[in-house]
Amino acid sequence: MTDFRTPRSRALGLGAAGHGVSHWIAERVSSVALIPLVLWGVFAALRLASSDYEMAVMWLASPINAVLLALLTVVSFMHMHSGMRVVVEDYIHRRLTKTGLLLLNLFVCALFGALALFSILKVALTGGAY
Amino acid sequence: MVELALPKNSRVQKGRHHPAPAGAQKVRTFKVYRYDPEGAENPRWDTYDVDIEACGPMVLDALIYIKNTMDPTLAFRRSCREGVCGSCAMNIGGRNTLACTHGWDEVPGQTCTISPLPHMPVIKDLVPDMTLFYAQYASIEPWLHTKTPEPQGEWLQTPADREKLDGLYECILCACCSTSCPSYWWNGDKYLGPAALLHAYRWLIDSRDEATGERLDDLEDPFKLYRCHTIMNCAQVCPKGLNPAKAIAEVKKMLVDRVV
Amino acid sequence: MAVYEFIDHKFDVVVVGAGGSGLRAALGCAQAGLRTACVSKVFPTRSHTVAAQGGISASLGNMSQDDWRWHMYDTVKGSDWLGDQDAIEYLCRNAPAAVYELEHWGVPFSRTEDGKIYQRAFGGMTSNYGEAPIQRTCAAADRTGHAMLHTMYGQSLANNTEFFIEYFALDLIMEDGVCRGVTAWKLDDGTLHRFQAQMVILATGGYGRAYFSCTSAHTCTGDGNAMVLRAGLPLQDMEFVQFHPTGIYGAGCLITEGARGEGGYLTNSEGERFMERYAPSVKDLAPRDMVSRAMTIEIREGRGAGPGKDHIFLHLDHLDPKVLAARLPGISESARVFSGVDVTKAPIPVLPTVHYNMGGIPTNFYSEVVTRDGDNPDSVIPGLMAVGEAACVSVHGANRLGSNSLIDLVVFGRSAALRAADILTPGAKQPDLKPAQTEAHLARFDRLRNAKGGTPTAQLRLDMQKAMQEDAAVFRTGESLASGVARLDKIHGQRSDIQVTDRGLIWNTDLVETLEFDNLIGQAAVTVNGALHRTESRGAHAREDYPDRDDENWMKHTLTWFDDTTGKVRMDDRPVHAYTLSNDVAYIPPKARVY
Repeated sequence: MTDFRTPRSRALGLGAAGHGVSHWIAERVSSVALIPLVLWGVFAALRLASSDYEMAVMWLASPINAVLLALLTVVSFMHMHSGMRVVVEDYIHRRLTKTGLLLLNLFVCALFGALALFSILKVALTGGAY
Repeated sequence: MVELALPKNSRVQKGRHHPAPAGAQKVRTFKVYRYDPEGAENPRWDTYDVDIEACGPMVLDALIYIKNTMDPTLAFRRSCREGVCGSCAMNIGGRNTLACTHGWDEVPGQTCTISPLPHMPVIKDLVPDMTLFYAQYASIEPWLHTKTPEPQGEWLQTPADREKLDGLYECILCACCSTSCPSYWWNGDKYLGPAALLHAYRWLIDSRDEATGERLDDLEDPFKLYRCHTIMNCAQVCPKGLNPAKAIAEVKKMLVDRVV
Repeated sequence: MAVYEFIDHKFDVVVVGAGGSGLRAALGCAQAGLRTACVSKVFPTRSHTVAAQGGISASLGNMSQDDWRWHMYDTVKGSDWLGDQDAIEYLCRNAPAAVYELEHWGVPFSRTEDGKIYQRAFGGMTSNYGEAPIQRTCAAADRTGHAMLHTMYGQSLANNTEFFIEYFALDLIMEDGVCRGVTAWKLDDGTLHRFQAQMVILATGGYGRAYFSCTSAHTCTGDGNAMVLRAGLPLQDMEFVQFHPTGIYGAGCLITEGARGEGGYLTNSEGERFMERYAPSVKDLAPRDMVSRAMTIEIREGRGAGPGKDHIFLHLDHLDPKVLAARLPGISESARVFSGVDVTKAPIPVLPTVHYNMGGIPTNFYSEVVTRDGDNPDSVIPGLMAVGEAACVSVHGANRLGSNSLIDLVVFGRSAALRAADILTPGAKQPDLKPAQTEAHLARFDRLRNAKGGTPTAQLRLDMQKAMQEDAAVFRTGESLASGVARLDKIHGQRSDIQVTDRGLIWNTDLVETLEFDNLIGQAAVTVNGALHRTESRGAHAREDYPDRDDENWMKHTLTWFDDTTGKVRMDDRPVHAYTLSNDVAYIPPKARVY
């Protein structure tokens, strides 16, 4: 292991990025937001489990339900993205793999989040018509 | 990338057995990690049957007994033998601690396993290379920064403000905490680790210091600070009973206070 | 002999040792623009200064009126008049500024209600020339040394001091009586190094490990003292070894005198506070030598505590648990770990334990090493300084007062730096070193590295420690000391049969311990020889066959030279300085030392 950099230089690395607190706050805020949203979501899912298609569409047509479900979806995907990002940063150190996985994480979360959001809006706004 | 298996030349092999001296009544086995940087061999586990009636109560006493009477080649750091210098930090029975204040009877099981602090480059036997750890400590600038001209006498400080330093300034830089932290294992090159961050907070919270903003600027980084995932190993192993995790949480709180 | 190559370094100043005095000296030299290296066998914050507990004395007057002259009087009286009063004046005058400097660097001193540095009572510290105990010892709870050392290390980092950590210093490079540098062995890669410098400052601490039971760290082996002896220079007042009254029974770990400063007291097996008999005015806050003798007498006369009647109790259980938690947290922890005692409920078993060496390398108050050269008792050795416990300035004389050592470190560390800045030119040309100057260093290193004898180092070391413990204890007699001289001479002879098992060069601690033993044995020998030579009782040197102080014949410093090959000790003396530094204070003439 030949490395003639001084230990101090290694410790300082690239210096402080100057951000991190916003990410940290976002993680906490989204966690807090998800507590009521998930409780509501579970409650709603249990209720909808015994209802038929028509009722479910009607349920989602209500502005309150549509907005809360949209929020639950968006916040969940954001939270998931940010959590997965930390996991990748923690464990994956090879540059190419790391970049690839970070992009994959972003794209997957964005794609599925956008699909889910669009579907909710579609049902809510068009009443589930094809 | 996280490596789960050791490279071939680092795999630890079975080593030599050193039997207890004849006539020993009570014997306890110590399994010790050995590595000779000047030989070609892989690291090995040597076992020593120690006559515990001839040896003091602490793990360090046992190591000294081994070195004095069984195997003088065993290398380990030690100095104050009373838990204030931080030299003899090592992994004992799976837990990072100081050999000098940890009794061998506190280690469960028949065999007491002793290895160097985890995830550090080993120089020899139980002696790890602490260079980067020290440099990380230095990088937080562990000295008082002031801009106001110094008074003739002391800077005044209320007992309440002084009390805020308790639980922080007692750190002995033994590295038990940092080397028990998985985040430090995986990202030790970028994450400062609990010890350095505890010291960072010690200076952030010192009422006499006038560089709080600059200090916070230097810490606000996804890796330097925010790799702490509150795993809490640091607080659990600290041989001085300090809580680095709490100190790190306080630093994060200060950063929030700055923007909210 | 194997071929060894030196890696060369050139500096203006090389400091050997990175404890309190070494760091202070290195820092001062670096600040003065001298290119400075600090070489240490342990990482700086592992030096034994870290274990100092009670505090650092300075007449700040934060608790009540105080005066540096009172501090000076106490120090002179504490030293049993063997201290040089010019040096003591220098120490006490400069003490307050030194403490403020530490505070400005960030030492987390405990505080009074009005925000000032908290000061506690300590043994022998009095107001108004011996009237009553005074609170003069500045404290950071009971971890003052730790707080100081860490702060000073931080300050050294701030000043970009160049450290060479885990380098074991071997010997001084001498040329015609001038010190040119020092050689060292780098532990982590096994290389040998030659540090050339205009000035070498030895800050290598005491040699408590010459004894079997001591409060000192395993690393306290007085390597600098031994290097001086091998360079053909004398050590001074080595017979004065301080026994700390309160080492934990069995383990030997220190319980600070600050425990008594906060109100703790000692009792014998009958529950009697016996110090009231020995020192009616200051009682448990008498100087350490007196308390240690009193405890030894109590034990000897059958009033020792415990089943073996072989120790004394230190009571803190009457103190408010809040005070214990705030002021004495460290020793509360030590007592729990090492004697299983909860200090809020039970007394701590303690015993006088070797703690400090008043003797060491003779210096003047500039910290320059001196020797007797014919009629000149103050002949300076160019290029060599000593500070801290390694040095004998002498401010502690025959007995050091508690908390005077920490102030000694910083005041004389600073004085060494000031003097170096004064007399050296940064970057001045230095003469080339010659291989002949270091041949003996290499020969000794190689001989010990390849020692194939039959007696392991640990065995010889134990024999030496036992001899010192038994023959040069709290009380000494001509008989015990003569026995000590003979035993150490024999052990010195057995060095030819020493056995080193590890032949490596990287972190070979078998060899480190052997080099350390080889350093200790010479110091042990001059200690017992000096003690046998001094036929009086003064301070820590208590001769039962000569129970009184004898100012007529012995108001002088002992000098001891040691011939490493033959083990022979040569003795001479230097006068005690019977003058002060300035006209601000008069010489304090000797009188009976009662408290």
